[in-house]
Amino acid sequence: MLKVDAINGYYADLHVIKDLSLRIEKREVVALFGPNGHGKSTLLKLLCGLQHPRSGSVYFNSEEITAYPAHKIVELGIAYIPEERNLFGDMTVMENLNLGAYNKRAHGSISQNLEFVFEVFPRLLERKNQLTSTLSGGESRMVAVARGLMSEPSLLMVDEPSIGLSPSLRNSVFEALAKINREKGITLLIVEQEIRDALSMANRVYMIKKGQILFEKPAAEVDIDEIEKAYF
Amino acid sequence: MESFINAIVSGLISGSLYAAMALGLTIIYGISRIFNFGHGVIALIGAYTAWIFVQNSKIADMSLLLGILVTIAFLFLLGFLLYRYAMNPLMKKPNWDISTVLFMLGLGILLENVILQIFGPRVKSIPVFKEGYIRIGVVQINWHEIIIIFIVIIAIILLNVFFKRTRIGQAMRAVAQSIPGAQVVGIDIEKIFSYTFGLAFVVTGISGILLGTKYYMNPHIGWEWMVKGFVIVSFGGLGSTNGAIYAAIILGVVEALATLFLGAMWVWPIWFAIFMVVLLIRPQGILGGRA
Repeated sequence: MLKVDAINGYYADLHVIKDLSLRIEKREVVALFGPNGHGKSTLLKLLCGLQHPRSGSVYFNSEEITAYPAHKIVELGIAYIPEERNLFGDMTVMENLNLGAYNKRAHGSISQNLEFVFEVFPRLLERKNQLTSTLSGGESRMVAVARGLMSEPSLLMVDEPSIGLSPSLRNSVFEALAKINREKGITLLIVEQEIRDALSMANRVYMIKKGQILFEKPAAEVDIDEIEKAYF
Repeated sequence: MESFINAIVSGLISGSLYAAMALGLTIIYGISRIFNFGHGVIALIGAYTAWIFVQNSKIADMSLLLGILVTIAFLFLLGFLLYRYAMNPLMKKPNWDISTVLFMLGLGILLENVILQIFGPRVKSIPVFKEGYIRIGVVQINWHEIIIIFIVIIAIILLNVFFKRTRIGQAMRAVAQSIPGAQVVGIDIEKIFSYTFGLAFVVTGISGILLGTKYYMNPHIGWEWMVKGFVIVSFGGLGSTNGAIYAAIILGVVEALATLFLGAMWVWPIWFAIFMVVLLIRPQGILGGRA
């Protein structure tokens, strides 16, 4: 579904992603681990078109998307949920969700997706007329994920879904992600620091270090010590 | 007392004109973060374009309506193309906030001189919409001014509906609130910026036509309009459309009262004194924030 071929990416003038290649198959859940500042977020930004690789190529369903702008990539079916959330603070939850379905691909399924989103995050239904700038951290995270789902993606890339959340909220976010994959068949790429949670739902794991893939394994064969060791 | 009430009314009238003028400025700033230093000249281009259609008529008729429609089309195109071929390339480079300001300033001076060459230095004005006046108690209002207020109110309502209800209007608000957020939901921000410039230029051009009917115009008056616009949007809160409307009304009334009690020459000093005091106390303006 997604094929990344030897890309090089920069953050300002820093060479952050170095000749990195990976692939993601349809319906997979792939977890991407790695220490902070080693290129995980930059990698996602390169894949969703917020930044562009200086060399190498990215293919989505065999179409080369390396130089596509972000809005075109959304239209092909890749949704990216930034760690910063980037919600529209002066708009209600509902307005944020509707804007999530801005691209043409999502128009036909707005009501269906809204129903699913409220089923996954019932909390948002209670808050639907509230401005998102007044929501708690956990609720904002839910809106960010829900807004991404509204774009009718076939691949959802989530950056640190659990950061700053209490353990119970973290659980509900991970349960929601699992449900998204199971019921909607949406492929997931998850960048996460909470290794245990992400590992329990992943099919495959990539470990990234210094902008390169350190190893790649089926989740079942990974043991946590091995990952934690790679962090140091 | 009678002159006081009439001063308030005339303040509300000029306030609504200033509101119309400040809207275009605050729309561009609120959404693209570009400060349009060519603002006054764009308003003037609107006024002169409409004037071409009515130059031989004493009273406005269908030719003014035609002039307004041509102005709308022309200024939308101008704003759209200006973004596409000048602002967009500049915004991709470092220090874009300064370079766009300097570009618009230079363009303003260039266009001012183009207007001077085409229309000459003499003062012109656009005929009023309707002659005569009505009296309500002690208050006497020209029909023309009633129509101006009516047009401004309709314009503000239409803009609100546009920003709240239409797909492009919502996308503009989204871009104003978070550019990366807009990108990740699939909004083509460059397209939205170019529509924003088109829309803001149209609003600015219409405000220029209204100013041309109430006051007068010459090729240099655009800078005075722009300075008034700057005071209003900074006073109201940069990028806040409601703030600009309130600020324009307040400053319009202040202007009328200053003229009544102290004389017209006191208007600018008092405007700027209020403006600077507000900036010192509340740098973000009365309703600071994004659009």
